[in-house]
Amino acid sequence: MLDCTRGRKTFAGRTRKEAEAKLPVTTKYRTLVDALLSAAADKPFVTAWIDEDEQETATFGAFRRMAQTQAVLLKDNGVAPGDRVVLIMPQGIPLMATFVGAMLLGAVPAILAYPNFKVEPSKYRFGLAGVTANLHAKVVVIDSDFPDDLLGHVSLGDARLLRAAEAGVSGGGADLAEPGNGPESLAFIQHSAGTTGLQKGVALTHAAVLRHLEHLSAVLSIDERDIVYSWLPLYHDMGLIACFILPMVCHLHVVMQSPLDWVMHPDTMLQIFTDYKCSMAWLPNFTFQFVPRRTPKERWPNYDLSSARALINCSEPVRASSMNEFHTAFAPCGLSRSALQASYAMAENVFAVTQSGIRGKLGPEVIWADGQRFRAEHFIAPVPEGSPGSVSFTSSGELLPDNRVQIVSDSGEVLKSGYVGEIAIQSDSLFQGYYNRPDLTEKAIRDGWYYTGDLGFYLDDELYVVGRKKDLLIIGGENIYPQDIEEIVSSHAAIHDGRAIALGVFSPDLGTEDIVVVAEVEKEELLQQADEIEREIRSNVVASMGVAVRSIFLKPPKWIVKSTAGKAARSTTREKLLKEHPELAVET
Amino acid sequence: MIDQVVKLIRKPGLQIDENTSLVSSGLIDSMALVDLLIKLEDITHLRIPAGKVQPKDMNTVALMFATAQRVGKPRK
Repeated sequence: MLDCTRGRKTFAGRTRKEAEAKLPVTTKYRTLVDALLSAAADKPFVTAWIDEDEQETATFGAFRRMAQTQAVLLKDNGVAPGDRVVLIMPQGIPLMATFVGAMLLGAVPAILAYPNFKVEPSKYRFGLAGVTANLHAKVVVIDSDFPDDLLGHVSLGDARLLRAAEAGVSGGGADLAEPGNGPESLAFIQHSAGTTGLQKGVALTHAAVLRHLEHLSAVLSIDERDIVYSWLPLYHDMGLIACFILPMVCHLHVVMQSPLDWVMHPDTMLQIFTDYKCSMAWLPNFTFQFVPRRTPKERWPNYDLSSARALINCSEPVRASSMNEFHTAFAPCGLSRSALQASYAMAENVFAVTQSGIRGKLGPEVIWADGQRFRAEHFIAPVPEGSPGSVSFTSSGELLPDNRVQIVSDSGEVLKSGYVGEIAIQSDSLFQGYYNRPDLTEKAIRDGWYYTGDLGFYLDDELYVVGRKKDLLIIGGENIYPQDIEEIVSSHAAIHDGRAIALGVFSPDLGTEDIVVVAEVEKEELLQQADEIEREIRSNVVASMGVAVRSIFLKPPKWIVKSTAGKAARSTTREKLLKEHPELAVET
Repeated sequence: MIDQVVKLIRKPGLQIDENTSLVSSGLIDSMALVDLLIKLEDITHLRIPAGKVQPKDMNTVALMFATAQRVGKPRK
């Protein structure tokens, strides 16, 4: 008899047999620390990629020694089990070692964004003060190069300020008494993605993180051969969980560079994949366009992406067009189509809720639906690809084990498959509440479900995320997703891709919201043809969506405000627009 | 470099010199600093580790060059 399962690929390059050989992490370890301690000492853990000439690698053994040194330093400074330790250090091994050093003590570390030249100092100060105050930390560890002018804005309260010391210099072998870490002790606090001032702390236990990693490593068929590439900041869940804690627990090698170095030289990502034969990466949607567009084509033949088995698009909403662009560009470098995957993730669930390409599927599903019914009835009626007036959606994959989702209407009714509503989730790794913020917790968790604030629908076991609830525009009773308008505006040749924002502005004459678009032109000179471009955009939007735009504001490059995650920040851009055009700000 | 800065500032007729304050005066968008830093690398033939640069290091054209000299590494 023919055995059809033998050698069958279950997830991007792994056979079923290989997938089954994965190691169950929760049953094996009590805590994250246990997982780190059980790694082979000589296995590479973190490579910090500085540039072509400078890379530093710490093995698991070396990393443990560095973490232990940091634990001793923290202990000497009065840190005890349960104390919060805030870390404000640049991306790199010392930051990671200090994080684990705090965990070794049974303390609860939290990483905050390190200031950089791209972030307005005033915005940074505001965020820092709010977040540090809420954590009531025992110690705040800052990098030795932390700018003095920002120091006054670290809210210390009773906390002690420590300048980070070089790991590995002193202390080394000092024995740490068993700190009393148990599965139910808090392991760390991570912050939800968002504009800096409004980040919310999510405290997670060792057991919750391990349960999550068990699911994630199983669906992704992760084993010790995997090598993770990352440019993601460690103060967001994607960087912290997928690219630091997962490799630490599953004993993987991770090669990381700083987000700033990557954004300046996006081609370094391709070089690192080539040099280190990386197999996995988690990347926000814009990366899939940014890299091919900002990397000189003449260098493409030098890259080898054949080792990549999962490049996971993990920012909502996932755009098939972005992934296609990346694949078309780099297929000649050996990039496999099945490597392009998607996930829906959030700090509140430790990390991922869904993952594509699992349970025998090849990748994220793309469906086309009737645009009119989508807007008017919030219902997904599938139509053939490319039908006139249709809209397309790319799924974020299937639910991880022990994760559940329901789609809820504005009136609180649980919707059937195919209807669009707010995504609510439950899982065995869901957070218990925002740290020290019962007010926010009460709004977010209701009847055991976490209301994500994201809009989406669930169809044929796949979750599709279509946007943020609060972004929804309601025009004459019709729901309009600003992302749809933005995509149409962005597709105009004169507009910088991804730099368009659609906003709802109340119109007292009509008693409903009007659509206002602000978009950046590719080049300043194009503003001379503003009338013509505006006309074309207007007719494009009407043709595809059947709604008219009230005003279009074309702006020079770099005008739109971006969030910490590099996405166009809708609310801040709105404020900026209203400030420049006060005639738009009508009382509602 | 001054030409580059003028291009990025987009205020016709504005005169700047190497000591004109750009960041603290709000003349230059912090996002444009990425492009300036890339330009600075080209002009100085140095690799500038972006993580070691703060907004105040980019406030004037003179400071930009001083920063490049301070943190930049020769390129191979």
